Amino acid sequence: MKDESGYLWKLGMFVTIGVILLVVAIYFIGKQKNLFGATFHLQAQFKSVGGLKVGNNVRFAGINVGTVDEINLITDTSVLVIFVIKDEVQQFIKKDARASIGSDGLMGDKVITISPGTFSNSRVKNNDVITSKTPIEMEDVMLSMKSSVDNAGIITGQLAKFTTNMNNGKGALAKLISDEAFANSLKGTLVNLETATGQFAKFTVKMNNGKGALAKLTTDEEFGKTLDSTLDNLKTSTKGLSENMEAAKSNILLRGFFNKKKKAEAKKNAELQKLKEKKLKAAADSIKVEKE
Amino acid sequence: MLAYLRSTFNDTGSVVLFTGRFFKEAVGRPFEWNEFIKQCYATGNKSLPLVGITGFIMGLVLTIQSRPTLARFGAETMLPGMVAVSLVREVIPVVTALICAGKISSGIGAELGSMKVTEQIDAMEVSAINPYKYLVVTRIMAATLMIPLLTIFSDFVGVFGGFVGFNIHSEANLSRYFSLVLTSVDFIDMVPATIKTFFFGFAIGLIGCYKGFTAANGTASVGIAANSAVVAASFSIFIIDLLAVQLTDFLTT
Repeated sequence: MKDESGYLWKLGMFVTIGVILLVVAIYFIGKQKNLFGATFHLQAQFKSVGGLKVGNNVRFAGINVGTVDEINLITDTSVLVIFVIKDEVQQFIKKDARASIGSDGLMGDKVITISPGTFSNSRVKNNDVITSKTPIEMEDVMLSMKSSVDNAGIITGQLAKFTTNMNNGKGALAKLISDEAFANSLKGTLVNLETATGQFAKFTVKMNNGKGALAKLTTDEEFGKTLDSTLDNLKTSTKGLSENMEAAKSNILLRGFFNKKKKAEAKKNAELQKLKEKKLKAAADSIKVEKE
Repeated sequence: MLAYLRSTFNDTGSVVLFTGRFFKEAVGRPFEWNEFIKQCYATGNKSLPLVGITGFIMGLVLTIQSRPTLARFGAETMLPGMVAVSLVREVIPVVTALICAGKISSGIGAELGSMKVTEQIDAMEVSAINPYKYLVVTRIMAATLMIPLLTIFSDFVGVFGGFVGFNIHSEANLSRYFSLVLTSVDFIDMVPATIKTFFFGFAIGLIGCYKGFTAANGTASVGIAANSAVVAASFSIFIIDLLAVQLTDFLTT
């Protein structure tokens, strides 16, 4: 045996380490969870766990703090999920913390997320049951997506109808878009408008710079002054004239004429009065007839 | 053609007889413990560096090669798990067995072949030592037990190689990496893969011994024995792997 002892211990070590590695592998794969040491358990009930599996991660504040240990059906509508969590985080999880099931990316594994509560101050104990939020299922997302897609379908249908109407319709807007004759007439109108505005432009230019009376009326200051003084003169002259007229009235030669004129006016007034009365009578009569 | 068929069936028949004799001799006393341990050392310890380096490189290379495909889906976190599963299930057992077929099977074939040629085996028989017990049983037993152990070592080294490969482009410390690996690797990956390595080891030892033990006379036959042992052992590893995978697939689904 003496000459064998040289390699015997090496072989022993080889086999021992190999077996230890095997045991370690089996142990960890079998547990497939916390490598962390001291742990405690929490429970939560869900209506559906959405594909959560034993060994999925549990997150608190975004940190992986544990794994799912057991998933048990209790009734046909509730599933009890038990998860193990590192002892270190026990002090941070309060009694009103809530568990929800989320997903790690679009294709990733499901994870349980523990959201901290707001009011409670007492920390959770081992095997406590915390409340749960129902997970957002992919189906729900798809369902809401479907309704919006349906709406989009309706909208596009209406849009298609609208465009068909626009192409074939008789309305003003449709004519605006598709009727050639309307377009031509509109074009003619616009051409006319163009000539009109062109003429108008010419007119305004002339008005601004022209020599005509109208142009002068609007632009020439001197003309305005002249006009002003003319009007002044006219005023004074009419005043003089009215004085002349007063004088003429009292003149003997002309008094007769003015008296005659006054009389004729009075007569005319009286006739007018008579005519009015007659008309009123006739109106009253016609109303009577209608009543009968 | 007929002669060829006949020799083929002859070979098959003698392999079966050889295997049957192994089981008969393995059960009967006495068991050559010292020689067995020596052979375990020769197959196990001496192959460890080779197998370890191969496993490391396989893990590293598989990780690097798989990354672009997974990165296209943004699923790089699945890389450690995926690589570990393929390593543990298929790559490491088969590569380890192939390496050992090259190293151990040819070694046994050459050793026994030269013993046969130099008539040492006949001399043993004359000196009342059962050469079958002393040479064949110990070697086959050693190979059968050591290949699974080597595979387990290689599994770990290979996963570590994957860790090194993963850290070329990404960042993950060792515990994070191993937790990613452990979320993917399950018993169903580990157990059948380990069980089939026993058969790999048995085939390696058996074929090496058979080829050596039945070597013809003459120096050239030593080379032939070593060469054909490697070829036959490698080939039989693939056949066994095919059967094992089919069986696992059938049993687990």
